[in-house]
Amino acid sequence: MIEIKGLCKSFNGQKVLDGLDLCVKKGETVVIIGRSGCGKSVLLKHIIGILNPDAGEILVDDQKMAKLKGKDFLKLRMKFGMLFQGAALFDSLDVYENVGFALIEHTNLSKEEIRLRVHQSLASVDLVDIEAKKPAELSGGMKKRVGLARAICNNPEIILYDEPTTGLDPIMADMINDLIIRLHRQLKVTSIVVRHDMISAYKIGTRIAMLYDGKIIAQGTPDEIKNTTDPVVRQFITGAAHGPITDNRNNGYNSKICPPDRQILG
Amino acid sequence: MLKNKILTFTEYVGGVTMLLFRTLGWLFVPPLKRKQVIEQMSKAGVDSFSIVFLTAFFAGIVLAFQTAYTMKQMSAEIYIASLVGLSMTRELGPVFTALVVAARVGASITAEVGTMNVTEQIDALETLATNPIKYLVVPRFLALVIMLPLLTIYADFVGILGGFIVGVSKLHIASHLYISKTFDALVYKDIFTGLLKAVIFAGIISIVACYEGMHTRGGAEGVGRSTTLSVVISCMLVISADCFFTALFYFMF
Repeated sequence: MIEIKGLCKSFNGQKVLDGLDLCVKKGETVVIIGRSGCGKSVLLKHIIGILNPDAGEILVDDQKMAKLKGKDFLKLRMKFGMLFQGAALFDSLDVYENVGFALIEHTNLSKEEIRLRVHQSLASVDLVDIEAKKPAELSGGMKKRVGLARAICNNPEIILYDEPTTGLDPIMADMINDLIIRLHRQLKVTSIVVRHDMISAYKIGTRIAMLYDGKIIAQGTPDEIKNTTDPVVRQFITGAAHGPITDNRNNGYNSKICPPDRQILG
Repeated sequence: MLKNKILTFTEYVGGVTMLLFRTLGWLFVPPLKRKQVIEQMSKAGVDSFSIVFLTAFFAGIVLAFQTAYTMKQMSAEIYIASLVGLSMTRELGPVFTALVVAARVGASITAEVGTMNVTEQIDALETLATNPIKYLVVPRFLALVIMLPLLTIYADFVGILGGFIVGVSKLHIASHLYISKTFDALVYKDIFTGLLKAVIFAGIISIVACYEGMHTRGGAEGVGRSTTLSVVISCMLVISADCFFTALFYFMF
């Protein structure tokens, strides 16, 4: 279980997360939606402990993330798998070394076992016989899938996905959705998925949470979110160009660049 | 304005010092990444052979010619051998090698680590339960600390060879005389202090380069900026450290 309490984070004086609370139960798939640049990736990086919060705390399986040091911290890290937005494969290593990184570095498994696990992970994202290739030789979509294979290779209990299907063709994107659902059903993996695409969000999420203005402003089952009356959430899920989200922006620094329609009309 | 500058400066010095201590701490945490260390030693050391050769060789030649100019007036050309030998081992060998390595190896370390940083590869390392200092900084630090003194010995030798060629062919000093004059002047202390400096310079170059790389922000432009900064700062630090240690050794030995 992951509990986030009152998380705050600023970068250069700009508040990105402002007292965020969220609780993710074991085996859940929570989809976090929100506009680009609203701090979704920052939230994921806090959950896995790459970034330290200015205020607030994060508990993973009742252990305080900030208090853990050394081996305990690494042990906790091994429970996680993370897929980065840009895949973040290591350029200097080939696909085999990338996918098997955690196993090669932190376990005593034999080469044969690691090779088998790498092969299985790659097969689950529909890739075969690319172990010897370098990341520079792969297409964007393939990199993303290798990144996903790396995230699932050490059988993590919690997987964080940062826009897992951006840059993939629709068929591949749906296969990734199916994979997330399968991991959820078969292995009871806890997943936190950051994404914009609402169709996938409804499909894979057991719960959807919307991040806006540094806080989670709404959360519920896909049906609850679909039928919400909250104007901010409604604008986002229907993808309307005008509504409370954009009007707030336009009243601010952007007002001169793109005035809302009613100003032009009025 | 001034307050900001002082803050930035203090933060920088603090950051670099912290990185140095952390690196030293991780250095003794097993297992040592032997494969990476050897790979870095090859990149930093073996691949620098030719450029160090050229720099030291020309430095030796120029040094011999310039001193010959004055020495000739006093008919004391024979002392050129001692002068070249001493200057190369005590000063020019370590400093020139460090500057060349800072430009060649320091820049490449910053560019590589910086690119890894802006493409989230360093974050990815952390998510795979691997400490970036242990995995990236320690092998580079260790490789340079081993290779820079070796390159310095090589530069000392090549520089003396440059002086020897000028002395023997142009100034008509007998070759056995030149060699014996060179070794007469040298004592262990000269070579030892030169190598000690090389170790310190290696630490400066690797830590500054890695620090800059790990603090790179803002895509390709950021990588360019931190690479430039890395070379400028390590060159400046090498020169000032050289000044400090030369003075220190002067009073100590």
